[in-house]
Amino acid sequence: MPDRLFPEPQSPVQVLEARMHSNWEHIRRARERAHNKRDALKSALAGFDSEDTSVVVFGSLARDEFTDGSDIDWTLLIDGSADPKHLELVHAVDEVVARQAAKSPGREGTFGKMVFSHDLIHQIGGEDDTNRNTTQRILLLLESAVVGRKDAHDRVINGVLQRYLSEDEAFIHRATRYHVPRFLLNDFGRYWRTMAVDFAYKRRTRFGQGAALRNIKLRMSRKLIFVSGIITCFSRELQLPDITGSRLSDLPPSDAVCIDCLRRFLRQTPLEILAGTLLHLENVNVEDLATNLFGSYDEFLGILSDATLRKHLDELDARKQYEDETFLRARELTHRFRDALLQLFFERNNKLSTLTKIYGVF
Amino acid sequence: MRPIGFSSGALAFADFRRAIAMLHGKDIHCLELSALRENELDPLLDSLDELDLAQFAYIAIHAPSGFSPQREECIADRLASTAFSRKWPVILHPDAVHDANLWRKLGRFLCIENMDKRKPVGRTAEELECVFDLFPEATLCFDIGHARQVDATMTEAYLILTSYHDRLQQVHMSEVNTRSKHDPLSVASVLAFRDVADLIPPEIPVILETPVHEELVLEEIGRAADALPTRELAAAS
Repeated sequence: MPDRLFPEPQSPVQVLEARMHSNWEHIRRARERAHNKRDALKSALAGFDSEDTSVVVFGSLARDEFTDGSDIDWTLLIDGSADPKHLELVHAVDEVVARQAAKSPGREGTFGKMVFSHDLIHQIGGEDDTNRNTTQRILLLLESAVVGRKDAHDRVINGVLQRYLSEDEAFIHRATRYHVPRFLLNDFGRYWRTMAVDFAYKRRTRFGQGAALRNIKLRMSRKLIFVSGIITCFSRELQLPDITGSRLSDLPPSDAVCIDCLRRFLRQTPLEILAGTLLHLENVNVEDLATNLFGSYDEFLGILSDATLRKHLDELDARKQYEDETFLRARELTHRFRDALLQLFFERNNKLSTLTKIYGVF
Repeated sequence: MRPIGFSSGALAFADFRRAIAMLHGKDIHCLELSALRENELDPLLDSLDELDLAQFAYIAIHAPSGFSPQREECIADRLASTAFSRKWPVILHPDAVHDANLWRKLGRFLCIENMDKRKPVGRTAEELECVFDLFPEATLCFDIGHARQVDATMTEAYLILTSYHDRLQQVHMSEVNTRSKHDPLSVASVLAFRDVADLIPPEIPVILETPVHEELVLEEIGRAADALPTRELAAAS
């Protein structure tokens, strides 16, 4: 029997690349590397998970932007009974992942450990919604992938989405002019600002070490996550299709339908969400925007894929970055990316522009 | 009120005679005769003519949840014979099947149950699609406790009910705990089940799989009715 009964649908990024007659080589290679690495992890971690535990990866590996220098951010997501053996399981997973990774997970201690579903679902806002909890919850929605059994991962994502949607009275009852999940969008916005503020925090506490590389990542990959979150929240109004081609606007109004449609929309990577938007939005100059958005992003991944350039940026003294040729080149890419996003969100499509002003600004 | 009854296995495990006696004389008209273990099937089928089942307007029979490939044909044949002669649906776990051809002959009397989270197939609307491709005439036994265990938001329950509403034959109801065991209904499960109550037509039989003592049978039926209010009852309250 073949592995797949039906061929996997082509990624919107590939469709856009073909339509543009472009060659986004670094994006393509990063996607291949991510798929290969996830497959390798899945094989190596077979049997480590269960119906109550999923090994979840985040970051570039989940976004299909994996380079040879990328670390592997992961958690053991638990949605079931507490078990003293879970700690041993975490150590065992850590050993396997460490053998597959170029370096250890981030220093903040957000990854490489066990995470329980209850805090992710119940602690949204308030003092108990720590920086770590917010990060894990938002990244679970915007850039997570499972290696192995997905049961727990699926359940927790449903639970989190239900919190955001069912408590959003205006969204559920369609009481506003536009059908946008404001509670969810506000948390995506909060997380984006948290990342930006934490950039300053890390620059200070690490005495500038690694700040140049983090600066470029903040302006590109971190910003892309936020962009994909905004588009997800606008997807119903913009009539964007999810990964199966269904549109939320075509479906009957229901809490469960909205959760199901958003979770399918979020199965796309941030780059796929952005590419899908360019492909389906009307009155958009696709050529110009695709060249600048995906061209700049491809070059950005090219820099991250080049071990010498990556190391140079990682070790660059933050006080000298504005004199550094590599940093300035990367910074120019971030400006191209930003300017194209500003055009997309504010100038090219009236609906998107209106939504962005109302829900993204005031 | 909806037609609500019990599974004999929930009330008295393999002792179906005792389970029927526990329901005798009560205003309960639905029954599922359970033979969840393979060795329970022959004694049950051999006794059917002797049982007093007159009070039950709806009866289903639950096939064993596991059996060897060598025994499968014999089990399917015996159940098919009972189903055809008595017009009873046969509830089957899709993961128990080794050879689909042996069960396909039950046609519309085959009633496929959606599974709990431990099982490799039949847990979600998407997974059930493959099962119904194998059994195009089969109906659905919607286990609302399983659906809630797979997805506490009841999104999966919604998707199963809306995807297969034409196939819906009966409902299984219980609290399914973290070890996938059936428990009596809790307040949390009652609240969750209400989310999809409108998607279950009022005439569909509900079979409780909750292990309760005889003196609590009617109370549990009341709790089940509370979990799945019909539109008229909900409006009246």
